[in-house]
Amino acid sequence: MKKILPVVIVCIFLLAHGALAQDSSAVPTTPSATSGEQQPAEQQDMKSSAADQPESEGAGTTSHTQTEAADTVYEEEQIEENEVVRIADPIRPWNTAMYHVNDKLYFWLLKPVAQGYSAVVPEDIRLSVSNFFENLTTPIRFVSCVLQLKMKKAGNELVRFVYNSTAGIGGLADVAKTDLDIKRHDEDLGQTFGHYGVGQGFYIVWPVLGPSSLRDTVGMVGDWFLDPVYYVNPLEASLGISAYDRVNETSFHIGDYEDLKKAAIDPYVSIRDAYTQHRKKKVEE
Amino acid sequence: MYDGGELLFLFKFSRFIDMILTGEGERPIRPYIKIGGTMKKGLPLFILVLFLSLPLSSFAGAPLDSVKGNVDKVLDVLRDPALKGESGMKAKKAKIHTISDKMFDFNELSRRTLGQNWTRLNAGQQKEFTELYKSILEDAYVDKIVTYTDEKVLYNKENPLTEKTVEVQTTIVAKKCDIPINYRVIQKGTEWRVYDVVIEGVSLISNYRTQFREILTNKTPEALLETLRKKVGKA
Repeated sequence: MKKILPVVIVCIFLLAHGALAQDSSAVPTTPSATSGEQQPAEQQDMKSSAADQPESEGAGTTSHTQTEAADTVYEEEQIEENEVVRIADPIRPWNTAMYHVNDKLYFWLLKPVAQGYSAVVPEDIRLSVSNFFENLTTPIRFVSCVLQLKMKKAGNELVRFVYNSTAGIGGLADVAKTDLDIKRHDEDLGQTFGHYGVGQGFYIVWPVLGPSSLRDTVGMVGDWFLDPVYYVNPLEASLGISAYDRVNETSFHIGDYEDLKKAAIDPYVSIRDAYTQHRKKKVEE
Repeated sequence: MYDGGELLFLFKFSRFIDMILTGEGERPIRPYIKIGGTMKKGLPLFILVLFLSLPLSSFAGAPLDSVKGNVDKVLDVLRDPALKGESGMKAKKAKIHTISDKMFDFNELSRRTLGQNWTRLNAGQQKEFTELYKSILEDAYVDKIVTYTDEKVLYNKENPLTEKTVEVQTTIVAKKCDIPINYRVIQKGTEWRVYDVVIEGVSLISNYRTQFREILTNKTPEALLETLRKKVGKA
């Protein structure tokens, strides 16, 4: 633990000072590239709009209004384009390779295991297991809330932990949600860094652990120290518990990854974008 | 932000009122108002707020009602006990396709997805792109949605984006967890049509835009269409 801490601190320092620039933009926008080929489409539009309005004063006016209309459309799109969240991807060869590794891991190992597991274990029990692990990771959410000065949320997490650990029998039932209507606040250290303006850095796909970023990786390592499972001895037991948690979680999501892949034109890019958008939303919450 | 407790109470209470007024049992609609303060301020205020909220919810809700109407139609199809087995599944899918044609504005959706790249396609290519993109989306999501049965949908509120666009925020309440799904709608004449769906913060059109942009950076629109044709052919 003492060996990792300095590394973590250095990384935070680097991130905070923008040494690792964020939006160095893996994909450049191409207004210049498009302008050349814009002509034919506009001409087409002009023709059609001229046909639509035979009584208009002439082609000159029509084209003028057309461009104006096109301009407003662009303005709108510009806004949306700016809204688009991007992430730099300088280590793409590594990421692509790890994406394929994880893909195989899922189809060859995780999915069959989770399927077998869910065939044997009823859903209610799997839900309880999920609740139990969620309850254990309260420190991650509590500390993250406190660091972001979200005191009400931190208080909620504390109440949830106490209530679920007692009335919910060691966290097996999420009675705080059902009885008190206090929902879990998904917070972690990666979001905490984001809350204070730290950018994603760049996209990283870890084997087994999946999509992440420089910022969220640092956060994830920090989260481990707040997760009681990390302190289980020996290491094998700790990893085993984590693996079980993972299998249990996967048992609720069989088919989701397949659907995502099926819907995507380029699954790697789709997942990278979904990750980036999702994390941005989490930070904003 | 509102406090969970009051909202739940208000929510239950408004459903109770709804039940009395309409005689219907299942109407999980949250009134379109923001509730501040706490319950401690007393019941009179609460009732006042409640009555104020009733007309509000019926006025403000054209986009919300439109989304709700369409989603409810889909849910009715999904829950139709007459449609069972293989043939029933096919009938369900066909019905949902009909609803989605009315619910979504695939032109708007396609244009916004390609963004600035839209003008790189000529009119014929734009048309073909819209068709292909539509069938990819329908294949992906209709297959997914027919597996849902007992999920409940809450219609939370409307969030105006621009003059003509509104975001309708909904939540799917599932056993494991709640999934926030926001429908972005645009006014077309008197109708509100969906042009984007945001699930857990992930915008559908942004996600595809990123993918298409990467393809169009190195390739021609024709190559993109070819990729889509292959994708549709396979599905």
